[in-house]
Amino acid sequence: MTEVQVSPEVAGYTEVHRHPEPKSFIWKYIFSVDHKVIGIQYLLLAVVAVFVGMALSLLVRLRLIWPNESLPLLGDLFPVGAPGGVMTPEFYLAMLTMHGTVMVFMVLTTAPQGGFGNYFLPIQIGAADMAFPRLNMLSFWATFVSFMLLMAAFFVEGGAPMSGWTGYPPLSAVPEATVQGIGQDLWIASIAVFCIASLLAALNFIVTTLDLRAKGLTMMRLPLTCWTWFVTAILALLAFGVLLAAGVLLLMDRNAGTSFFVPGGLVVSDRQIDHSGGSPILWQHLFWFFGHPEVYIAILPGMGVTSHILSTFARKTVFGYKAMVYAVLAIGLLGFVVWGHHMFVSGMSPYSAFVFAILTMCIGVPSAIKTFNWIGTLWGGKIRFTSPMLYSIGFVSLFVTGGLSGIFLGQPTVDLYFHDTYFVVAHFHLIMGVAAIFGMFAGMTFWFPKMFGRMMDEGLSKIHFWTTFVGVYAIFGPMHYLGMLPHPRRYAEMSDVDYLLTTGAEGLQQFITVAAVLTILVQFLFLYNFVRGIFAGKECREENPWEATTLEWAVPSPPPHDNFAGKVPHVYRGAYDFSLQGAKRDFAMQCNDDKAVYGDQPGSGD
Amino acid sequence: MATSQGAATSTVPATLTPADAPPGIEGGGDFVTLPPVREGGWEGPSGEDRIVQRYKLGVWVGMGGILMFFAALTSAMIVRQGLSGDWLPFSLPPVLYVSTAVLVLSSFTIERARKELLQSNPDALRRWVNVSACLGLAFLACQLLGWQALSGRGIYLASNPASSFYYLLTAGHGAHLLGGIAALGYIWARVRGSRPWPTRVAAVEATALYWHFLDVLWIYILGLLLFWR
Repeated sequence: MTEVQVSPEVAGYTEVHRHPEPKSFIWKYIFSVDHKVIGIQYLLLAVVAVFVGMALSLLVRLRLIWPNESLPLLGDLFPVGAPGGVMTPEFYLAMLTMHGTVMVFMVLTTAPQGGFGNYFLPIQIGAADMAFPRLNMLSFWATFVSFMLLMAAFFVEGGAPMSGWTGYPPLSAVPEATVQGIGQDLWIASIAVFCIASLLAALNFIVTTLDLRAKGLTMMRLPLTCWTWFVTAILALLAFGVLLAAGVLLLMDRNAGTSFFVPGGLVVSDRQIDHSGGSPILWQHLFWFFGHPEVYIAILPGMGVTSHILSTFARKTVFGYKAMVYAVLAIGLLGFVVWGHHMFVSGMSPYSAFVFAILTMCIGVPSAIKTFNWIGTLWGGKIRFTSPMLYSIGFVSLFVTGGLSGIFLGQPTVDLYFHDTYFVVAHFHLIMGVAAIFGMFAGMTFWFPKMFGRMMDEGLSKIHFWTTFVGVYAIFGPMHYLGMLPHPRRYAEMSDVDYLLTTGAEGLQQFITVAAVLTILVQFLFLYNFVRGIFAGKECREENPWEATTLEWAVPSPPPHDNFAGKVPHVYRGAYDFSLQGAKRDFAMQCNDDKAVYGDQPGSGD
Repeated sequence: MATSQGAATSTVPATLTPADAPPGIEGGGDFVTLPPVREGGWEGPSGEDRIVQRYKLGVWVGMGGILMFFAALTSAMIVRQGLSGDWLPFSLPPVLYVSTAVLVLSSFTIERARKELLQSNPDALRRWVNVSACLGLAFLACQLLGWQALSGRGIYLASNPASSFYYLLTAGHGAHLLGGIAALGYIWARVRGSRPWPTRVAAVEATALYWHFLDVLWIYILGLLLFWR
């Protein structure tokens, strides 16, 4: 085994190695049980998925402004969905469905938790690996299979499903209702496998956080990143089981003739469907019981990364650490009792709607606590405007903008008007999509030197930040106005909708498409920066280039196979000790004891 | 401020050589008695019982996910029953009571296996693991007989929502029990091998816990099918 020098910052003691370092390519990089390799595998999967998802959104945007134009190449690629290069409305819906599914499951759920969480949770808590490394490998490969199943839906007869990422029956449950055949089945199978993968991963994250923390690392000394990964894992554990059950029922309805979600007397294409007595609303309840926690599964890790980075680059401790922890817990708890606000237009009792609305408003409280604490962290700080810092500030901006429109939509009376309009599209993209993605940009640029021992180009990152930041507001800002017109969402075209044409909606849609194309192009700049960074970025073998405090910055870049070279670090302090009075440096790492921080001056500690 | 938060009790020396680490973490194929359970607090980096605790914690957490799966099916069943007037209750096949008895019995045999492990008796451990796995398979066979009895009466998966839930709940439980049987097979195969001692204890303890959980889960499902018809 190669001898690895670990920083003297890690004053710990030796532990016996848990599993030896693999030598062959397959066991080292493919079927690896090393959490760091698995983390990067998740990240690469998410990078592939995000470009697939963006390509799909591009098709959606093009169809919206050129419903009847022939687009080059498209006719050859999709002879059925886009004959002669003109996308059919069904094809539009299929692209919409797949865009949502790919982005929500394969990007927003995998990268923040499976990617960054896998890589950095064990290192930040001073562990050699996750609690169950082989289970971890299984989680990733199940996720990979799930992604392949989903991609296969493009290539089967009838093409990809078109019942939306929410898979609402009867569209999803009755094969006769759409031209789709096996595509929808593949979609359900993919989601079911994804559920199992996520459940196993959640189990692993929870046990790791509870059981593998280094000595002295109490729960209230955990970095906020770890707290958000931990709470996200709890949400995933409790939510994905429900989606799995719903998926099984839906699969039975499609293929075994049961009637869980299909109502009686349903007539499709002048033919009575042979089902009776089920309810599509039952699916909505089961789906959204998963779906709302899923929103927090996507966004919570971004919140953790943002708190972490704002503190690091403002050189200040996180404002109200305990309040931040309790806010995350409160968001997690409340996230399970607000699912009904996705269903205000389903004909639910106004009394239920009232309760769901009140509970939804309650989530505003912990969200506001977090936002004010982020601002409080920045206030009076010695801010270093690095690219991770910019992305994190961008996250706060997008979270506030997307959150405010959530307060509108949480009101049943207002939601009745807005529900099926672009207002909702603007809301959830800003808060769940783009904010979470900015969290990933922040995490990627922040941890890149640790993961690869090289830096991404700061200049390119900053150009990417500003263009993307302006770009996403240009895309989703006008959608609020479209929603107020109200421009219905999910419609493939609006050629004959007079009131839309006279209110400038067409021009706005064109503007949005142009903004979307430009913003998508800019993402290739990030991809270039990322790939170039891995192979030719500025070398950065320094352990702690950002002068940060948590344990991952006390190990070499990239970290050795078992992170601390057989040692178990001691933790002496909280995660955000910056600008301490009387200290030798302006920061104290978690593994520094008072002597290391203050020298031998008596009484300077505490 | 943060420096004094949750001050660590520094009873462990700053450096510890591998020689000080508790024995048995690596190699150590001997069948020795289980060390005493630690009394709270954080004792060392690689205490044997820590691994046992970890695996048991994993099972406890996993139960949460499995419970949510069956909670979702339960709520779907209750809602579906109240939706429309097409719910046709049917009497459960009597063989279910046999299968219940078999499964409850298997929980006792698993406990016996656990006891043999703690008394360092590998042959008896393997024997009782075998018995438990056979009882598990017998349970599954009884469940299949239950399906056969129902289909003999013309009640299939799609006949009625009541029967749909019957088939789904029993199948869901059976699939989880198959996992338990696989774990018993793993113990049976590995108990003589060169696995380190703590991982063997962990495997037996975790499997026993999981098995008891499936036992209780089945009694819950049976109650649901009996009393929520």
